[in-house]
Amino acid sequence: MANLENKKKVLIIDDNNNLVTVLVDKFNVSGFEAVGAFSGQEGLKKALELHPDIILLDLVMPEMGGLEMLKQLRLDPWGKQAKVMVLSVLDEPTYVANAMDSNVVGYIVKTDFSLDGVVKQIKTILGVS
Amino acid sequence: MFPRLYLKHLLYSFSVLLLLVATLFLSRSYIEKVVEDPLQTVFISLVIIIVFFSYIIYLLLTYNTRFDLEIWNATKKVALSKEQFKRLYENAPVPYLLLNKNAEIHDPNKAALRFFGVLPEEIDGKNIFSYISGEDRGPAERLFQYYKSGMPINRKEVDMVTKKGDIRSVQLSVFETGLAMIFDITEQKRLDKAKTEFVSLASHQLKSPLATTKWLTEMLTSADFGELSPKQQEYIDKLHDANEDMVDLVNVLLNVSRIEMGSLFVDMKVTNVEELSESVLHELSFLINKKGIRINRKYHGLLKNIRSDPKLLRIVIQNLISNALKYTPEGGTVTITFEEVAGERRIKVSDTGLGIPKSQQDQVFTKLFRADNIRGLVDNQGTGLGLYLVKSVVGVIGGSISFVSEENKGSTFTITL
Repeated sequence: MANLENKKKVLIIDDNNNLVTVLVDKFNVSGFEAVGAFSGQEGLKKALELHPDIILLDLVMPEMGGLEMLKQLRLDPWGKQAKVMVLSVLDEPTYVANAMDSNVVGYIVKTDFSLDGVVKQIKTILGVS
Repeated sequence: MFPRLYLKHLLYSFSVLLLLVATLFLSRSYIEKVVEDPLQTVFISLVIIIVFFSYIIYLLLTYNTRFDLEIWNATKKVALSKEQFKRLYENAPVPYLLLNKNAEIHDPNKAALRFFGVLPEEIDGKNIFSYISGEDRGPAERLFQYYKSGMPINRKEVDMVTKKGDIRSVQLSVFETGLAMIFDITEQKRLDKAKTEFVSLASHQLKSPLATTKWLTEMLTSADFGELSPKQQEYIDKLHDANEDMVDLVNVLLNVSRIEMGSLFVDMKVTNVEELSESVLHELSFLINKKGIRINRKYHGLLKNIRSDPKLLRIVIQNLISNALKYTPEGGTVTITFEEVAGERRIKVSDTGLGIPKSQQDQVFTKLFRADNIRGLVDNQGTGLGLYLVKSVVGVIGGSISFVSEENKGSTFTITL
């Protein structure tokens, strides 16, 4: 068992419950401590409470969308520097450009990545082997 | 030069005069007879002089009247066309304004008043460029300088603010004469946005469940939660493949609708076609190995640095290579050739496959086309949208496509960029 303190915290925000569940499970078995949130508001609350090492953020969610949540997050002193990876099925360049303007570490098009691919990407960003 | 009217009049007078002289000449014997009587001579001379002078007076009188009539007619025409122009200007559905040399508005037409939601006195004398909205006054100021230097402004896209504070997207044109025209494109832009948003929404709604299924099946096969039996593994793999096919299909459908709605985003940049081709071959390596197809690369070190849209060009190459593989029997050859001839760049994909029947070759690029000779194939999973998409995409990135094909010998598709 890896040391609990060394485990990197991942927060997954997506309004699709099944997707959050499978990602949380995958990250947990891959040596992370993963937490899920099912809306923008819940995600924002959990992010400011838990200070995760990285946030996986969906863009299209009812009420508070990903970019709106990101704007709120950036107002917080901790949130200003928080690492955020966008996770969306939208692949139009305008969406990618909009997200990249909000200072995110990357943009994953869900249908283009395998589950292992996502974990690998996050490990690279966080410097975990 | 004589005015036409004047010349006509002279000729007319001259001929009447000639007629008078001729009459006198012909009646000379009678005149000779009567001149013996001095009283009669005086009387006849008087008659002739009176007739002659009345004619001169008549000519003078009619000359003026006719000339005046012509002038009056011409003036009426000018007045009428001016009146027509004024009516046209006033009632045109497009906002028109006249500007003085300081770009201050005068004589706005009705559409302009409607556009800004103002009364004539509220807009009279205001600088037109002050109606351009935005915190940054830079662009408005630049346009003003441009106008002052006497340059025409041609369909410049700006946002203008109305009295109520509505912001409208317009194309602003100002001609040298100081005539300004505002073409409101707010509605057009709203429609464009709605179309793009519709495709995005459809894309999101269709692809979200596919992404979930993809990752759920991957989770199952990863053995993170225990091994599956070989048979279970096989079924999950099939489910995974079917889902991937669905992702491809949705992507094709979305691209087709983007093209048809004219909302496909083109991003031209430095593109390495060799890299694109290799990444497509890598993606299709499973199929290549399964069918034992030989890939013949004739890149000749070309097309490593061209200007194109890599994402769209990849769709084109992916479709052509994947078609070549699909319709080439086991053990066949697929050749990818790059050429650069007289500034034209060509990408050729040839196969030793089934070919397209001659009778159907003119339908190859139509939507939902399926050739007769592939209908019976076991893994005939095409959508009939691939080549339609390819042709449309090639058109969007400024190229053309052609092909030669012979049944049971193979096909060669050529993209010219």
